[in-house]
Amino acid sequence: MTRKTLITATLVAALGVILVLGYIAGRTFRDPARATTIEGMTVLEPASPLPEFRLHDQNNQVFDRARLQGKWSYVFFGYTHCPDICPTTLVVMRDVQKIAGGKDKGIQYIFVSVDPDRDNAAILKNYLSYFHPEFIGATGGHGELMRLTRALGAYFESGEARGDSYEVHHSAAIFLIDPEARLRALFAGPHDATRLAQGLQRLKGG
Amino acid sequence: MVHYKRFAVAVMLMMTSLLALADNTIVVRDAWVREAPPGAPVLAAYFTLENQGSKADKLVAVLCPDFDKIEIHATEIRAGVARMIELDALPIPPHATVKLAPGGYHLMLHHPRRALAAGMNVKLELRFESGARLTMVAPVRRAESGAVHHH
Repeated sequence: MTRKTLITATLVAALGVILVLGYIAGRTFRDPARATTIEGMTVLEPASPLPEFRLHDQNNQVFDRARLQGKWSYVFFGYTHCPDICPTTLVVMRDVQKIAGGKDKGIQYIFVSVDPDRDNAAILKNYLSYFHPEFIGATGGHGELMRLTRALGAYFESGEARGDSYEVHHSAAIFLIDPEARLRALFAGPHDATRLAQGLQRLKGG
Repeated sequence: MVHYKRFAVAVMLMMTSLLALADNTIVVRDAWVREAPPGAPVLAAYFTLENQGSKADKLVAVLCPDFDKIEIHATEIRAGVARMIELDALPIPPHATVKLAPGGYHLMLHHPRRALAAGMNVKLELRFESGARLTMVAPVRRAESGAVHHH
């Protein structure tokens, strides 16, 4: 049964990869200057505008598209029941913040929980303040999360329940949104704070 | 005669335990527990296992009274998606070094029963398929990515 599930999952994943590659190839063929990757950063040309969405932040304030306007935003998807990759990425984000200079108020760092059933505002606030008091935590209903993830090409899905717990599979990428709330670039990872900071500098520089 | 028999049994037992010790060729080092945000429901532990012997072994369980449950996990990134996979056992091939490190293999420590902050120690018992047991003391540390140097 487990093997069967594994084979099915592998086939589905393989099909997914083929479809995505086909889609990218199709787009590239029509528009060769669509996306370029330099030093782990894939830049979208032109930037892709985000739709309206409605989440809430760690202070229970509305977190919508307007909150992405006027600043550059690094966005990462994860959940607090994630002991390895999520804190690892948040430590990298903390270092990006240090490199960029804490004074730079033109950059914000956003952790979007894709586990809204377990991660409420209070939990997010406690969790994120450990990494940096200015980090923004956001989450919301499944449908609203999907509006955002779909527009970014991000992915999340809850895994099978194991006892009283479950994992959430999620994109490992960090997304860079420009001050007009458009997806400008993404970093596939593994994440490196220096590269993340320099990537944004390069975009700002021209 | 009875005394002699007892003595012989005792000697045999001692030899067996000595043999068991000599057979215990897995060494653990660089153990640490990632300090987590206060109230975090799960933590991770990392360490390096070195099999100095010529027999394959497997890490099958980890025990520690500080947590409700401990699982052996692998973080896997496939097609851009990060997944945590629970492993029944972690193979340690002969003469091989297996690293548990951020972004890869790790122990998932469920629901700490006491607040764990940097500077504290956690004592974990590793159990292997061969029957070998190892106790390791893992300091709780605040993780750094290494990109920013502190002065």
